[in-house]
Amino acid sequence: MFPKQLENVLLKVQKPGRYTGGELNSIIKDKNKIDVRYAFCFPDTYEIGMSHLGMKILYSLINEREDSWCERVFAPAADMEEQMRSLNVPLYALESGDAIKDFDFIGFTMMYELCYTNILNMLSLAGVPLRSSERKNLSPLVVGGGACACNIEPMAEFFDLTTLGDGEEVTNEVIDLYKIHKAKGSTKAEFLREAAKIPGVYVPSLYDIEYNEDGTVRAIIPKDGAPAKVTKRTVKDLDTMFAPSSFVVPFIEVVHDRTTVETFRGCIRGCRFCQACFLYRPIREKSPETVEKQCRAIYENTGYDEISLCSLSTSDYTGLEKLLNSMLDWTIPEKINVALPSLRADNFPEELMKKLASVRRSGLTFAPEAGTQRLRDVINKNITEQEVLSTASLAFKGGWTAVKLYFMIGLPTETDEDIEGIANLAQAVVDEYYNNPDKPKGRGVNVSVSLATLVPKPFTPFQWEPMITPDITKEKQAKLLSYIRSRKINVSMHNSQTSFLEGVFSRGDRRLSEVVEKAWESGCKFDSWDDSLKFDVWMQCFEECGIDPYFYTSRKREFEEVLPWDHMDYGVTKQFFIRENKKAHEGVTTPCCREKCAGCGAAAINGGECSEIRKSVV
Amino acid sequence: MRSVRVWFKKTGMAIYISHLDMNRCLSRAVVRAKLPLWYTEGFNPKPYLNFLCPLPLGQEGVNEPLDIRIEGEMTNEEVKNALSAVMPAGIEIGAVTDPVMKTAQITSAEYEITLEFGTENAAESFCCKADEIIKSGELMAEKRSKKGVKTVNLCEMIMSFSVGANGSFAEIKTVTATGSASNLNPDLVLTALFEKTGLEPVSRKISRIRLFNENGDTFC
Repeated sequence: MFPKQLENVLLKVQKPGRYTGGELNSIIKDKNKIDVRYAFCFPDTYEIGMSHLGMKILYSLINEREDSWCERVFAPAADMEEQMRSLNVPLYALESGDAIKDFDFIGFTMMYELCYTNILNMLSLAGVPLRSSERKNLSPLVVGGGACACNIEPMAEFFDLTTLGDGEEVTNEVIDLYKIHKAKGSTKAEFLREAAKIPGVYVPSLYDIEYNEDGTVRAIIPKDGAPAKVTKRTVKDLDTMFAPSSFVVPFIEVVHDRTTVETFRGCIRGCRFCQACFLYRPIREKSPETVEKQCRAIYENTGYDEISLCSLSTSDYTGLEKLLNSMLDWTIPEKINVALPSLRADNFPEELMKKLASVRRSGLTFAPEAGTQRLRDVINKNITEQEVLSTASLAFKGGWTAVKLYFMIGLPTETDEDIEGIANLAQAVVDEYYNNPDKPKGRGVNVSVSLATLVPKPFTPFQWEPMITPDITKEKQAKLLSYIRSRKINVSMHNSQTSFLEGVFSRGDRRLSEVVEKAWESGCKFDSWDDSLKFDVWMQCFEECGIDPYFYTSRKREFEEVLPWDHMDYGVTKQFFIRENKKAHEGVTTPCCREKCAGCGAAAINGGECSEIRKSVV
Repeated sequence: MRSVRVWFKKTGMAIYISHLDMNRCLSRAVVRAKLPLWYTEGFNPKPYLNFLCPLPLGQEGVNEPLDIRIEGEMTNEEVKNALSAVMPAGIEIGAVTDPVMKTAQITSAEYEITLEFGTENAAESFCCKADEIIKSGELMAEKRSKKGVKTVNLCEMIMSFSVGANGSFAEIKTVTATGSASNLNPDLVLTALFEKTGLEPVSRKISRIRLFNENGDTFC
């Protein structure tokens, strides 16, 4: 539903289907029988938000409760925002069409640092004061979660509370507590003090930050009984964990429009640049039976012709063969494509690959991440050139003609030789195609190289490393292009300015809240979209706030430095990260968890349980 | 394999679903309905769906035809019941029939249009002027086609037109050329009339009532 005033503008904006609601499986409740209204906000457009699995899970989870109604909210595009502002229509939730400023919770999921200005813009469109301190009443509470919650300091002034780790349990606990306080008529401060006692809940206003003269953090001081360390939440058993049995089916085309089911959480690989790997440990697997049951249910409730089995590294799922053998029995006759994103090519049976391609053939992607074996050892990406080439060869034999390769620049210890190695590896794939006697007849090969810039992230072994500047990024990108000789190779590169801002905010501290607010006031939004990024405005805002952005990116941090996110505990210990950082500089790899437990420490917050430890003991 | 003609109604929020999105939306609906579908034979097998006469974005349809292909035993009544159970809000299944006429036989369509003007005077004035213009037999406007933009006389594609005021509303009933040979979106007529009369309504609602063949028989 949409507010009546918008009826006449919907045909004037692009893709009105973004704003109407009413999609199949969207949940409508009687608001008079509801205690808690929850606006689940995604700080980007409808097409992106509707592809996000976390939102689908929590939407269904909250709506399972009879006392609560969770609705979806997305960032309107510029044309719609203009209409809404001129007609004075505040940001509304898609299910009821009601203004979200009157809701109990306004919850944001934060997947990416460049969505921060969109969060402020949505709050402003909703008519809600931006800063937590300016919102005096108990509701609406502005809450957040998602990957960025591991260091939410640059947004600390705006959020009342955030949750760390898996949301399936803690979301309900926060709603339960809120209901009690709403009934009692508690103040916001009273509620937040109690909420901070729930494991996994972080209340930024209950921490004072002191700084050294050089700008680094001196101390993080908890107040009013808030815990010194906030420990992330982990759901122990994924088979009994809540999972949705249906998805809202959008009318308009969205980025990922398909059934998606998780197979496991965590990752055994331990690539040293990868934040997801460490944030979601320990490894917890779902049984193939559970995965298949969930896929079937969502398929029947939606009619999607694609199922995506999702995890951080799908071929590491121990139940994969069993699952596919059982599932392909019904997906093939029903013309459903099974997609395996994040598939490592090195350990996948040829027979299964053929079966998977029998309905629709999807793309083939490798992520060697670095151009030479030496540098791959530094980042602990345990994949060899030979493995890439032999899998590519197998795929060419099977009729594939397009391969995508993911690489990064700006990795620690990187030299020109490593950049040249990227071009050489791409060339080797091209050569592999033409040397293959079984290649598809009469067709050329297409190798796409995607080049990202390393953004060192909190909770990785690289969290102390300097990031390369936008200028050096451009230099390295140009260098790579000069090494490419074949027209069969296409190179696409991440915008160096976008990566830079991501770098500032991922390891930023609380003082950046002011910059985000100023940038938003100066018109910055949708910063992750190349065509709307206003980099010069951003740089000017840093200057006006007296903040040097390079302080956050270009500086090598000492192991002893107090990091702005030191009061967050994701299980994996700092000692482990230090150990891994030292090994990186020595070029020494760490075997994956399945070969040998590296003692990362994540199992401790899960009662000592980790699928991999269990396996190595048995 | 046989074709069945599904007649559906598209109203309310569903009018904001574009034709391409309708295709995607109903492809999923026929899967949810567990119909014994016939799939296209290509690299990308899809259920066969043919919207005979796609509705423009923002317009209602009272009785719109869609052909699908099924295999195996299933009566039209069973197809109707299966589909009715899975439709999203705003799309309703009317009847399911065997196709009688072919797509190419569609030549015109009847529309009911309601325009809301701010005042009774404006509505009245619009009705008089619009009636005169159409009766004059000439309403020139730029029309876009695959071959480019051309100025054409819209009246040549209007088979009938009647307009009357009802309070601050103007109510129009019209039949315009529709189909592959010649096609006139009534929205174009409205835009041209607004420009000529200098009167613009605050809201408009366009509803397609039925399709005709060249003899004026209702398409079936």
